[in-house]
Amino acid sequence: MAIFEWISFVAVVFILPPLVLGVLCKTKARLQNRIGASIFQPYFDLYKLFSKGETVSEVTSWIFRNAAAINFAVVIVVALLVPWLTFKPAFVGADLILVIYMFALTRFFTVLAALDAGSAFSGFGASREVTMAMLVEPAVIFCFASLACVARTSDLSVIFSCDNFSLSHNNALWLMAGLGLFLSSLVELSRMPVDDPTTHLELTMVHEAMILENSGPNLALVLFTHYLKMCILWGIAAQCFLRSISYFWTVGPLIQGALSLGALFCMGVIVAIIEGTLVKLRWTKLPQFIAFAVAMGLFCVLIAVMRG
Amino acid sequence: MILDTFSILAISSAVLAILMLGTMYLRANLNFYALHTLAIAMETAWMAQKIHDEHLYWVAFFIALLKVVIIPRYLAWVIRNIDVESDSGSFIPAPVAMLTGIGMLGASYLLSVQLSSLWGDIDSRIGAMAAMSVFFTGVLLMLSRKIAIGQIIGFLVLENGIYLFALTQTHGMPLIIEMGLLLEVLVVVMIFGLVVFRIKKSFEHIDVSRLTNLRE
Repeated sequence: MAIFEWISFVAVVFILPPLVLGVLCKTKARLQNRIGASIFQPYFDLYKLFSKGETVSEVTSWIFRNAAAINFAVVIVVALLVPWLTFKPAFVGADLILVIYMFALTRFFTVLAALDAGSAFSGFGASREVTMAMLVEPAVIFCFASLACVARTSDLSVIFSCDNFSLSHNNALWLMAGLGLFLSSLVELSRMPVDDPTTHLELTMVHEAMILENSGPNLALVLFTHYLKMCILWGIAAQCFLRSISYFWTVGPLIQGALSLGALFCMGVIVAIIEGTLVKLRWTKLPQFIAFAVAMGLFCVLIAVMRG
Repeated sequence: MILDTFSILAISSAVLAILMLGTMYLRANLNFYALHTLAIAMETAWMAQKIHDEHLYWVAFFIALLKVVIIPRYLAWVIRNIDVESDSGSFIPAPVAMLTGIGMLGASYLLSVQLSSLWGDIDSRIGAMAAMSVFFTGVLLMLSRKIAIGQIIGFLVLENGIYLFALTQTHGMPLIIEMGLLLEVLVVVMIFGLVVFRIKKSFEHIDVSRLTNLRE
């Protein structure tokens, strides 16, 4: 049974992320009245990039070459730690502070690689990324910490385990935590109200500006890492939303797994609808948007405090 | 905390009111206001179902009709005609105002715990907490916004807070009083709208912070 769990999990980690992005892009295209590329297009893009040659600037150091690999490794470990799917193999030591700081580590190396390349635009992107990270971190910590406070443990796999009944009737807390994590994931992944992922105007980009210098297999690795991070963050928000529905607690593990996969695709569709209907916010308006994520986190804290 | 539908509706109305503080876009404010009032109308209907009181259904229906549909539509029409999109600047920045609003929600929880007459009945305690929080949010909206439309919205939220307090504590007032209140709110909003038109016409802006200056 354990080996089956591992095989399915590894398959999901390597196959699912581009598919979620493909569904997102397809939905977005249909919303804009276009036919759109096939939902398997991200696989073809990754394959194309892996078979291309790589150009590396002469002024870069080893950091630029290795940052993508380091990030990929860290995100794989995070994928093992964070319970973003219900059929994840058990893994001890998934402390919430550790997970938050591992995300910060990937951001650190992305920013370092961007600064290493020495291009002015990467510098812009890096500075913006760090500012946003600083603003959005309290929201994530508040959401996780209030869940941990109610569950009386900081181990994420215990908090999210389906037989933890100290949290099973806290629909409001789960809903608020899900909303807070979802809003902050939009900021962390530089999706639409924060940054337009399809833009080609360097002056407005955040994440794309930082990886302008990457090419070939290096870029493919960066992109795949980004897709996987996207799946983890939306997956964990989807888990929170699922747990706010009482029905989820009563069904068996097989249906729970299917529901969590379906919820992940639902998040993709929801983000596509958001991106199809909202406009990108001006940089100076961004703290107002992030304040909503922090507000959700604070609501979580209030609910946790009132309960205790 | 195990919440039933009653408390969830009360708290969601308080949360939606607080979210209103976070944005300066008047259209978004009106949408949040409509949702917030919808939660209050549903709360009224739930109360009617709980205590088997038929006239509360009518009250819920008229709240939904008047405050969810007509008043936001009317204010949207006013906004379109005086040509303002958003509040250019407020006395308190929007994120700070929203966090203050959350602090006020915590404070109203502490207040509702202190009120000795509410002990024992969890429903009326949560209702009182939500109502006080909506009330404080309305006050904060009126205090923080600079343009007149924002203050109208703040007044409406404040009025909702008073209504919610009355509903959760007295389980509904007589139909004639509710109808009178609703009519009054409608008339007040109409007059506010006209006054905003007048201000816009004679001052060419609706920024209340500049209304203290004397004009030749």
